[in-house]
Amino acid sequence: MISPRTLRNLRKELRSSALAKIGIVLVLAMILVAAFAPFIALHNPTNQDLDENTLPPMGFSRTTEETTSEMVNGSLQLTNETVYVNATASHPLGTNSLGQDVYSRAVYGARTSMMVGVLGTVLAAILGVSVGLVAGFYRGRIDDALMRFADVSLAFPSLVLAIALIGLWGRAAVDVPDPFVVFGLVDPVRSALGLPTGMPDSFVLPGTVIVVVGLVNWVWFARIARGEALSIREEEYVKAARALGASDARIIGRHVLPNATTPILVLATIQVAAIILLESSLSFLGFSGTTLSWGFDISQGRGYLSTAWWIATIPGIAIVLAVIGVNLVGDWLRDALDPGIEGEGGV
Amino acid sequence: MSDEILKVRDLTTRFFTEEGQVNAVEHVDFDVRDGEVFGIVGESGSGKSVTALSLIDLVETPGRIVEGEVWYRDADLAEEHRDSHPDAVDGDYVDVRQLPEATRRWLRGPAFATIFQDPMSSLNPSITVGEQIAEAVEVQRRARANPRRTRSRTQGYGLGRLLVDSVLPSQGYVSDESQERAVELLERVGIPDPEQRADEYPHEFSGGMLQRAMVAQALAGEPDVLIADEPTTALDVTIQAQILNLLTELQEEEDMSVVLITHNLGVIARMCQRVGVMYAGEVVERGSLEDVFENPVHPYTEGLLGSIPDVEDPAPRLSPIEGNVPSLLDAEMGDECYFADRCPKAMESCLTDIEEHEAPAATDDTDHLVRCILADREYDESEALGSAAKQEVISDD
Repeated sequence: MISPRTLRNLRKELRSSALAKIGIVLVLAMILVAAFAPFIALHNPTNQDLDENTLPPMGFSRTTEETTSEMVNGSLQLTNETVYVNATASHPLGTNSLGQDVYSRAVYGARTSMMVGVLGTVLAAILGVSVGLVAGFYRGRIDDALMRFADVSLAFPSLVLAIALIGLWGRAAVDVPDPFVVFGLVDPVRSALGLPTGMPDSFVLPGTVIVVVGLVNWVWFARIARGEALSIREEEYVKAARALGASDARIIGRHVLPNATTPILVLATIQVAAIILLESSLSFLGFSGTTLSWGFDISQGRGYLSTAWWIATIPGIAIVLAVIGVNLVGDWLRDALDPGIEGEGGV
Repeated sequence: MSDEILKVRDLTTRFFTEEGQVNAVEHVDFDVRDGEVFGIVGESGSGKSVTALSLIDLVETPGRIVEGEVWYRDADLAEEHRDSHPDAVDGDYVDVRQLPEATRRWLRGPAFATIFQDPMSSLNPSITVGEQIAEAVEVQRRARANPRRTRSRTQGYGLGRLLVDSVLPSQGYVSDESQERAVELLERVGIPDPEQRADEYPHEFSGGMLQRAMVAQALAGEPDVLIADEPTTALDVTIQAQILNLLTELQEEEDMSVVLITHNLGVIARMCQRVGVMYAGEVVERGSLEDVFENPVHPYTEGLLGSIPDVEDPAPRLSPIEGNVPSLLDAEMGDECYFADRCPKAMESCLTDIEEHEAPAATDDTDHLVRCILADREYDESEALGSAAKQEVISDD
């Protein structure tokens, strides 16, 4: 389905656009980090070590007032002392208030963001594209009914809708075994590298969140797919296929959908970024089923912004890089695949 | 057994638009005989193409076939539906329009195949030419293997297949025989290097080659009736001739009947045995090519023939038909003959009486029918309406 011409356009656009290169590097990095998190993380991201709480990142130090009490001449004397807490090499980006490694949590957070972003987009695309193709292909009352429903869904603020749905269904989460840990690949590698072992053997997939972001974002796909179906159904080759006895399902599957893939693909990349943001918002508000999420870490660090800025800032930077990277890739695809579209991309 | 493969009776197709009802095809009757080329000729907007689409039941909303019968000769099909759909069966004929939807769809391809005007856009740009033809072969091979004609002929092409196919273009649905047959068909329609060309995409073909590929696709189901809707309009003249030769050749070899729709009288004269002339949604004159071309009765046919340049006797100016095709909006159509305001021979009674009359037979053939009062009377100049009078009467409606 990917023609040589498409590949040529992709390469050409990639060569001429520095932003596209940056986007690809960011996205590839995020995919690799998410996939190989157990090898890349320095610590088990959920391990607490209260002795090492709130350590600053490398190159920074934190001051804290330490009060010592002393009995001097029968009376209790309190001395306030400013103590410098220095970074340690084992926690290069510091620790949070529970002594969890901020870097390792950001690494594992990439998994949550990627899984929710990709699976949520796939779900939204399947729902939206099906609805849109049917609406655009059959037009008439079916179209009116489906699209009015879509408009109503769109009029509802997505975050509110997501929270309502999660409130309704609870925060179901699925434990997915981590294949690297299950097959015993992680510990030998980590020991060889001199890293602490005992990484989490499963990964929490926030099931409700995935379903919810899919249900919240399907409308965009429905609109694009409907528009494409409306124009493609008028093509002569659709009429020709019908004159040869093709069924509606065949026409939609063989003729309409394949010729509508480009805008759907471009939208899908941009939606991944939108869904990553939505997931972060939900976990920031505590509606996610997992605690290993950038949004959750930001909410944890919010109270310490004045004293320990890194707890919230590091996952914040991770979100920014992920969203920018995915959007740049989306722009690249749009420019390369559909030179006709001169629109505003992004979230 | 009669020799008509197709008998169209009283076919009426209207479009229900926001501006009002458009009478695109009004009470059209014609027959198509075995192994003949039947031509339908008319100006743009005369309802030729809508007639073609109505035959295969592909009129899109807001259009609808309001009434009419399309009798197709198929003894097996007639036998099968004699009890379940008694109204749809008459002897060996079935009325396609009264058959169940699944059966109607089954007939597209094996019974009626269609070639459209613009070959450039009639093939899916994202699928190779060979694959599209092979798919047509496969669909129709499966249709034959399912003689009950009751269930969907796309069995095995459900949602799962659809999803898989849209991600990975699969050869699973199309059998190897169908692939080979597609290459044969491409060779048959005169495409050089058919095996190699089969793997190319439509944009790699020239217009003439694409129209050949379209013909190959139409032949996939070995149709009884080939409907060619302006098959050469989008092509340049030399390619037109090639495609017409190809159609003639294939029609003779396959013993198909062809319904050829065109505005080109030269094409009609060269290809057809019988012809129907359409004007404002009606067939105004039909009969054998000789009857219609050499002995036209309807002033519109005369006018059409008069506007062709004659190589032997070049006239300094051609004589076109004055005016334009009338609006087909129902509200603007009156009781008069629709051609009356452009007709050089219009008479008083043209404004009331437009029954179909049988013309005095020019040959032994009594099939020459004309929708004009001149069919059974001579033109009398004293009764002629002046152009001012015509305008007045028309605008009174």
